[in-house]
Amino acid sequence: MKKVININFQGQVIAIEETAYEILRQYIESLQRYFSKEEGGDEIVNDIECRIAELFGNRLKHGINCITDEDVEAVISSIGHPKDFDTDYEEPEKPAASHAASEGRAEEAPQDDSEERRSLYRNANDQIIGGVCSGLAHYFKTDPIWMRLLFVLFFAALFWVYIVLWIVLKPKPLATNVSKRLYRNPNDRFLGGVCGGMAAYFRIDSWIPRVLFLLPLMFNLIGMMSFFPLNHFFDSLDFNWNFNMSIALVYIVLWIIIPEAKTVKQKLEMMGEEEYIRTIREKVSDNVSGTRNRPEANKPIYRATEKVQNKATGATVVNAVSEGNADNQDASSQEMPPEPPMTPQPPATPQPVNDPRDYAVNQQPQRSGCLNALIIFLKIIFFTIVGFFALVLVGVFIGILFAGAQFMSLKSLFIDPGYETNLLIIALSLVVLVPVISIITWIIRRVMKCKSRPAIGIVSFVLWFAGIALVGLLTKNVADKFVTESSKETIVSLDPVRSERLYVDMLPYADDYAEFKLGYGWDNEIDELPYTTVNADSLLFKKIHLYVKKSSDSLFHVRTIAASNGKDLRTAKADLAEFTYTLEQKDSLLLLPEFLSVPIAQGFRDQSITVEIAVPAGKTVEISDALSEYKNNEPPSVVRKRIRGYSRTHYREQTETAEGKRVTVVSYDSL
Amino acid sequence: MNIENTQSQMRKGVLEYCILSIIKRGEAYPGDIIDEMKNAGLQLLEGTLYPLLNRLKNAEILTYQWVESTSGPPRKYFRLTDKGSKFYTLLEATWQELATGVATVTRQNQEQTEDQFSSLS
Repeated sequence: MKKVININFQGQVIAIEETAYEILRQYIESLQRYFSKEEGGDEIVNDIECRIAELFGNRLKHGINCITDEDVEAVISSIGHPKDFDTDYEEPEKPAASHAASEGRAEEAPQDDSEERRSLYRNANDQIIGGVCSGLAHYFKTDPIWMRLLFVLFFAALFWVYIVLWIVLKPKPLATNVSKRLYRNPNDRFLGGVCGGMAAYFRIDSWIPRVLFLLPLMFNLIGMMSFFPLNHFFDSLDFNWNFNMSIALVYIVLWIIIPEAKTVKQKLEMMGEEEYIRTIREKVSDNVSGTRNRPEANKPIYRATEKVQNKATGATVVNAVSEGNADNQDASSQEMPPEPPMTPQPPATPQPVNDPRDYAVNQQPQRSGCLNALIIFLKIIFFTIVGFFALVLVGVFIGILFAGAQFMSLKSLFIDPGYETNLLIIALSLVVLVPVISIITWIIRRVMKCKSRPAIGIVSFVLWFAGIALVGLLTKNVADKFVTESSKETIVSLDPVRSERLYVDMLPYADDYAEFKLGYGWDNEIDELPYTTVNADSLLFKKIHLYVKKSSDSLFHVRTIAASNGKDLRTAKADLAEFTYTLEQKDSLLLLPEFLSVPIAQGFRDQSITVEIAVPAGKTVEISDALSEYKNNEPPSVVRKRIRGYSRTHYREQTETAEGKRVTVVSYDSL
Repeated sequence: MNIENTQSQMRKGVLEYCILSIIKRGEAYPGDIIDEMKNAGLQLLEGTLYPLLNRLKNAEILTYQWVESTSGPPRKYFRLTDKGSKFYTLLEATWQELATGVATVTRQNQEQTEDQFSSLS
């Protein structure tokens, strides 16, 4: 009585006795060992497996219930044991062995082994430049990585040694003679798989070496952010670049000198055998549970390509239906419930399946170490550029956040509380935070090896775009507040001026006032910004224009023209009514207040006031030096229209009075 | 000297020629090749055939395409490339030379052997 198990072998469901399965497994393992030395060995084993599956299939078709030991033995004898193969890629060794045998040496195997060991070759199978290091490592029975590290570290001293060895030694394909080697892990990689390979080698989680590599950079970034002043951005960007660069260099060197684990054998060497088998078992049982109930009958071509892509050599169980995960390799028996039988293929013409992926795999030439290094170099350049941009982007966003806080004080000037403020907050958080969050998410997902989800990118792009749209809306809202210009004229009634000369001076603002600060020395750049009173209930504008013209009669006349912008005429008029600008007259002295004061609720609407002084012929106006700023301003166009025959006042040179005060004098001849 | 070694050397030499000859006639998959060789009385292990095909393929003498099979996994059908055709022509010429040469050199011995056989029988 024998137990029968079902195995999925090269896409065929095959019922096989457990003992027969064991024989088959051992046989395929022996094939793998034998062909592991040969280029394309995986493919050969896969071909043989296909053939075995076909032979089994034929047997089962002839009414036999299951594959027995005898069937397996018959197949094996048809294919042959590795020792019977007439392959000649081991040519240099075979004659030596037979030579030794003919001489009747007792210890055949050790002799062979030590002979191979005694001679130093360049390893043609495993080379970065010339294979010298791996040849040396083979000689000393160590991992080539140590030799390579030695040569890299003592580059100056060993350079000529390397060149000499390269010339002197003969190349020879050598099989690895260490059971465990450091490889780059293609199944667990972020950049080159160096950290993944280290993790596999030391059997730790792969985030540990990653964090160790990134730790200095993280500290630097944290250090950079904790004293992040915008105006010193380019001066005190105090990265410890040297240290980071040397860590990056170490990574790059490791990337170049550690080979990638490509074949199953190399993956075995990378992890140690039992570990590797365990991971595969997990993977396959996942796949099996995932595919168990899937209807699998309607995709013959697809299944065929899957099988082709399966370069699985791990003996027996190959899951032919798993979509998207073609990398199943397994060495364990899977006791699965019998799956629905294979759909009978249309018996007409067999359908040729040309799989481009397969073609690429087969036709791809073995890359030399130098080409690999070049590709690695290009990858490094690419990732450096991407990383630099990401870093700059993050830096700019953080800068904007910091600077945004500075600009927030200006918000009240342009943006009404309520609706517009909410709009601003939403827009800013979308525009600024969405890219930052998505970049961070991307990096984290990349490190954690999550499956890429295009939806995340699309959603964040849509959100970001919505943010941009909101910013546009807000900008339009703000711009709308400036569409209508309005002005209002007030005639200042003067007491008759008795003297020939009207003195104009400034009435300084008595209280303290505060400036709108942008911070970091930007405040002086924008001189049109208003000031605010200390208790922040009014805005104080300095946009006061002094205009002197000839009076039409024999009296001094003064009038003020207030101007403001607004969303429509009504709001502009309402704003104008709230202006406070009171001139004071003390006999022949006219005092102009330093500031135009408006309620803070108005915000910035380009408010200004123009003081027009009409001077009668033969009389003079003397303008104090304190007002020199005001007299040179040009009034806005809406005000200029109100002044008939406006032309810029031509002031004469400043003169000094008897008391040493610098004043400007304007007088008109009595024509 | 080892007799088995020499025998295997002799077989090995003609193996590629035979296989290429079978494939030259039309696309063939390894099962066909094995059957044909066996029918012709040439013992060939499949374990020898597959690596050989693989190496010929790597040398771009052969190329293959996948064809769905009704009785199992898809099969690799091999055919000669242009390079392979030239390769085969050269092998053929060499074989003709060898066959006539070997026949001439060994004829006398063979006749003796045949005489011995006939006298024995």
